[in-house]
Amino acid sequence: MNSADAPHRVTKPLFTFGTLTLLLLMGIGFSFGITRLFLGLGSVTNLDNHSPWGIWISFDVACGVALAAGGFTTAALVEIFGRKKYIALLRPAILTAFLGYLWVAIALSFDLGRYWNIWRPIFNWQGNSVLFEVGMCVTVYLMVLAIEMSPSILEGLKARIDDNEWGAAVLRKIEKPLMIAYALIKIALPIFIVAGVVLSFMHQSSLGTLMLISPTKMSPLWDTNLLPLLFLMSAIMVGFPMVILETIYANISFGRKAEMELLTPLARFVPWFLGAYGLLKLGDLAWRWNGLNLGADPGETIALLVEIMVGVIAPFLLLLNKAVRRSMGWLFFAVSLIIFGVVLNRINVFLVGYNPPYSLKAYFPSIGELAMTVAIVSSILFCYRLLVTYFPILPGYVAATPGRPAVPREERAKTVSPFWTWVIRFTAVGFLLTFIGLYVFVHERAVQSTVRSVEEVQRVKAAQPVHEAMASASYPQRPEAYKNFYRLDSDYLNSRSEDYEPVPFAHRIHDELSGGDCGVCHHRYAMSEDDRVGEDIKSLHASIEIQLGGPCAACHDDMASNPPQACGRCHAGPNESDDPARLGLKGAYHRQCIGCHERQLQPAPAPTECSSCHHPWTPDHAPLVILAERPAPQAVTRACLECHPKTGQDLLGTAHWNWKGQSPTLAGYENRTDVSLQLMVNNYCIAIGSNQYACATCHIGYGWLDSSFDFSDPAQIDCLVCHDTTGTYRKNPLKGGLPDPDLDLVPIARKVGRPSRQACGSCHFQSGGGPNAKHGDLEPILSDPPPDFDMHMGALGMRCQDCHATENHRIAGMSQTAPALEGRVRCEKCHGLTPHGVAGMLGRHLDDHVRTIACETCHIPTIARKTPTLLRRDYSTAGRDLPETKDQFGMPTYAKQFGTLAWGMNMVPAYLWSDGTRRATLIGDKINPARAVDLNSPMGEKRNPNARIFPFKVHAAVQPYDTKKRTLAIPRLFEDYWVDFDWAKAIASGMKAVGQEYSGEFGFTETRMYSSVHHEVVPARAALGCSDCHRAEAVNCVRCHRGAAGMDRPEHTRKIYPEVPQRLDFKALGYPDDPAITGGRFFLKLGRGTPPQ
Amino acid sequence: MKPLDRRTFLKLSLAAAGAAAPLGAKEKKDNHPLSPDYVGVLVDTTLCIGCRKCEEACNRRNNLPRTSEPFSDREALRTFRRPTESAFTVVNQFPGSPSPDQAVLPTTYAKVQCMHCLIPSCVSACIVGALTKAADGAVLYNPSICIGCRYCMVACPFEVLAYEYDTPLTPKVRKCQFCTDRAKGTGANPACAAACPTETLVFGNRADLLAIAHKRLEERPDRYVQHIYGENEVGGTGWLYLTGRPVTEIGLLNLPDRAPALRTEAIQHGIFKYGILPVAFYGTLAGIMRYNRRRESAAAEEDGPPPEVSSTGSKEKGR
Repeated sequence: MNSADAPHRVTKPLFTFGTLTLLLLMGIGFSFGITRLFLGLGSVTNLDNHSPWGIWISFDVACGVALAAGGFTTAALVEIFGRKKYIALLRPAILTAFLGYLWVAIALSFDLGRYWNIWRPIFNWQGNSVLFEVGMCVTVYLMVLAIEMSPSILEGLKARIDDNEWGAAVLRKIEKPLMIAYALIKIALPIFIVAGVVLSFMHQSSLGTLMLISPTKMSPLWDTNLLPLLFLMSAIMVGFPMVILETIYANISFGRKAEMELLTPLARFVPWFLGAYGLLKLGDLAWRWNGLNLGADPGETIALLVEIMVGVIAPFLLLLNKAVRRSMGWLFFAVSLIIFGVVLNRINVFLVGYNPPYSLKAYFPSIGELAMTVAIVSSILFCYRLLVTYFPILPGYVAATPGRPAVPREERAKTVSPFWTWVIRFTAVGFLLTFIGLYVFVHERAVQSTVRSVEEVQRVKAAQPVHEAMASASYPQRPEAYKNFYRLDSDYLNSRSEDYEPVPFAHRIHDELSGGDCGVCHHRYAMSEDDRVGEDIKSLHASIEIQLGGPCAACHDDMASNPPQACGRCHAGPNESDDPARLGLKGAYHRQCIGCHERQLQPAPAPTECSSCHHPWTPDHAPLVILAERPAPQAVTRACLECHPKTGQDLLGTAHWNWKGQSPTLAGYENRTDVSLQLMVNNYCIAIGSNQYACATCHIGYGWLDSSFDFSDPAQIDCLVCHDTTGTYRKNPLKGGLPDPDLDLVPIARKVGRPSRQACGSCHFQSGGGPNAKHGDLEPILSDPPPDFDMHMGALGMRCQDCHATENHRIAGMSQTAPALEGRVRCEKCHGLTPHGVAGMLGRHLDDHVRTIACETCHIPTIARKTPTLLRRDYSTAGRDLPETKDQFGMPTYAKQFGTLAWGMNMVPAYLWSDGTRRATLIGDKINPARAVDLNSPMGEKRNPNARIFPFKVHAAVQPYDTKKRTLAIPRLFEDYWVDFDWAKAIASGMKAVGQEYSGEFGFTETRMYSSVHHEVVPARAALGCSDCHRAEAVNCVRCHRGAAGMDRPEHTRKIYPEVPQRLDFKALGYPDDPAITGGRFFLKLGRGTPPQ
Repeated sequence: MKPLDRRTFLKLSLAAAGAAAPLGAKEKKDNHPLSPDYVGVLVDTTLCIGCRKCEEACNRRNNLPRTSEPFSDREALRTFRRPTESAFTVVNQFPGSPSPDQAVLPTTYAKVQCMHCLIPSCVSACIVGALTKAADGAVLYNPSICIGCRYCMVACPFEVLAYEYDTPLTPKVRKCQFCTDRAKGTGANPACAAACPTETLVFGNRADLLAIAHKRLEERPDRYVQHIYGENEVGGTGWLYLTGRPVTEIGLLNLPDRAPALRTEAIQHGIFKYGILPVAFYGTLAGIMRYNRRRESAAAEEDGPPPEVSSTGSKEKGR
């Protein structure tokens, strides 16, 4: 053991410039590793769901295992094939292999997500997995390598004891067992050596099988069933080159002459392996030539070419040359090429050739990954250095004896020629840079990221033919059981989903759109009680040669008792046993509704969003709202905005917030968006600008006391005024919208929900200064009216927003008095343009009125049925202390603030033409005080085909005006006139407040203001009858239908409201006389039924 | 260069034979017995309206993290998304109508999730068997034995597996679990299928679903591409798709009918079946070692102790 060539411990100092550099690199790299341990893989690596394996697997593991092949190849050469001459190379090779596999395992423990489970494969076997076999093999092989290393370790410990070095005392105690172990191992070693070779063959090849599990993601350049064999052969091929490289490098760095006498003959084996591998590789590529698609990815093609030419062919040619094998420098270069080629091959197979089709960003290693890889390599080098220092591994130092230091096998005259040292260093660095450069070039798209995005959906405005039914109205009979409106509220669906409120379904409009063809939706008919499948009605009728396309009642008389069957009759649960393919009720509704709606573009696009048909149930906000005790109102809003930030932003652009907006129906201001309520004059409290804090009590904000209110701050939005469901929320009057300060807002905030009628009505029922003062048709009782009081809000229980459709808090609906418009509400949206079919034969005649008479005219015969509405006030009589007297409704006839007052109840509205646009008198507009000034008025006239006769409530007043300037005067009422009752002072301060010039002289003039009537719709039987407007003799069926004697329908033609002698003043509306006698607006000259004589 | 001698020839041929074994190995499907009880879902992309209720239901059922925007927000559809660790399923939109007879519709929607393959690559790949194919067909993940090697993610041909890269200590692989209850299995109610308002997703026995799908193809040839995606792709999947346009236009991949797992298993089992080849190889090497040792000791007896290797060492030493 002490012969000159036997392994000895190196006596050079351990800590040199080189090893310190290694330690530094290890420190840097492992700091990233520790970051990975604390923060996760995502913090350090560029791995993602499409590239789960990066360089930690492809280089650290795959290349690490491949390059450690020197161990088993040298072991096989020396111990199995008996080439004892190379024995000096064995221990360093085993050491390299051992360190390689050890640090592969350590590197893996950073890459594994659940590294603490790394022991699991020992007990949880999954025999189909390639990785299982690789893992178990590597684990066992690591142990085998440890056993193969142990002679060196034990000899080193023995030398330590013998030479009485540091730690010898402790070691001496276990010397005996150590030596016994040493002897046993030496005996058993051959078993492990053979096992090591077998194990290496197994896992080196299986590493190649690994990537074959994803052939659809592998480039055809490397995807071959021969990959395991190629990996095995390349591993064998790189074994001796690694030994040569490591030997030369170690010798150089220890200042020794390299053992060329061993390396040169060893190098003679290498071309054989290179050649075999090269033949197999090229043969495989040739065999698969057609499927290779070489031009597809030039980067991959270049990588493959470099791998073969630089990694196989070039070194093959070089090593054939004896001079190359004999020259340390050239040999070093040649083996470096082989090693480079194998490394490139592994990286090509695992990274370059792995092309996941969905990856958004091509993988490129991060700094952390590169640093850890460098650290792992540095660790191997450092441990090598460490171990050869303390254990006899490297050959040929003459051992130190007391008195004589160790002498290197052959000391060089001077230190290693700097030239070669620097050549080697530069070559190493050069290869590294070339490699990185090549990789970057090969994956040039690695530095770009591609994120696929889908184009914005463009709605196709296809021209759809207008359905025939719309063009030529047909009026089939419909059964009495036919309902206009259904609430789709199925127990079956409710038991399965709690997400949405029941859907209000307007049957009438759908019937109209389908042209009266019931079969579009009611497509099957169950013939018997327990028939759950039914027959297709088209085929039912086709069998008797009847083609469908209209209503059932056109032929069937008994539709009243046997209407088309409800959807739920057949569609209950999906995939039921009698017809597994049948839709469930939910699917049937949705496919039917959405399927049709998607296709409909005329007359208007139909709703396809979920919430446009049914509203989600509001979740219980009690656990969601987190507020301090007695919060400020803005704090409540901020809590709302935590979850609904977009809502806040939406609201800031709405008319309810800004009190202004687009005004396309205001004559003269059609293209403006800035016409605000502030600009309007009314004849209730005259104007807002001079009474800001009072009028703004009904603003949906907190504290609009003056112009300093911040309209851009969403925290000032009052969410609770609309969304309160407790009914306890109150605004503080005259405080610009702030809530009642005694209110605890927390329980209100916890019970928010969809606005109820009461919520909207808390302001809108009180407009004009008191309940129902202004509108006439918006009374407090509408919060919870009796069924017949208003069909929609009472009988059907609809909320305001069911008609006033809201999108992003923009609420549809046009007020005659407010300029802004965010969408129209039209009866036709649900009822269609031919809504009277249900009235049987009269339907045709009633539908004829649709062009001229608004729905409201006949269906809202009276307004203010519960609460009186203001009809008149006279400010010129205000200011006196007169006794309060009450009228027949119990309302005061005089008030000091307002002057004389007149009220109306159960009153007939006024009827005017309106085409949906209006005129308004704004602040500063010139007036003509000689006549009553219309502060707002609907525009329209008989000649205008867009105009129809609408009901209005008219409020007449006498209010001040500037006599010199002939503009309406804007007095300050709150805290001014209503304190001092001095008009001059109040008007002066009011005009100043709104920025108007005031001449100082005022008078009084008559004004009128119109509020449109749309609510308090009565049941159909209580709607106007023909004789309520027309003369009785004119609406007799026989007048036109000569053969219809005895077919009179008095329930419709009689006067339903006999107490109203003349409802419509035809002359005032522009007709010469009753149009039923003199003819309609444009065409119908009645008497058509009378043939010309 | 020395001519090829017997020994070398033997070595090489043995190696070649051993390594060529996988080429001739037959693919064995008996590692993967298919059961008639497998469940699946039929996705009819011509019916999907892109409402994302399936995503929302999946999010709720699996207690996934709340999203920054509600699922009703259609903005999310503008980017092409893939399943992630907090979204087991996503719906993507693609311009163009879903089928020839729906030309007026501008957009097609397609849902993506784990396909619950019949011969799952991930199950075959998993080193510890953390991924398994349940008796009812669901492919399930058991994090307790997972080591986090992510080989399953490499293996999946549909690229649906997601990983919790930002969890430091206990990251999990995340994918659709088919709403499997530990006691009842998948039961009758995967959340997405239950939530779909148009019944685009139909859950049921896979064989039944294939029958339904074939019937639809037969009844509406003008509507569908005559192919059920997933019937045979990568050996068949639990999730089946009917489309009205080529699958590659709606974000699905054209995949071969052969299950990738069968290939690697054939190679592995071909080489290592019963350990015959490794043991035989071991025996051969041991034999060679013994032979060489005998020869060496015989030569040593003849020649005496081996000569000391001179310190200079000659370049070309004999063998």
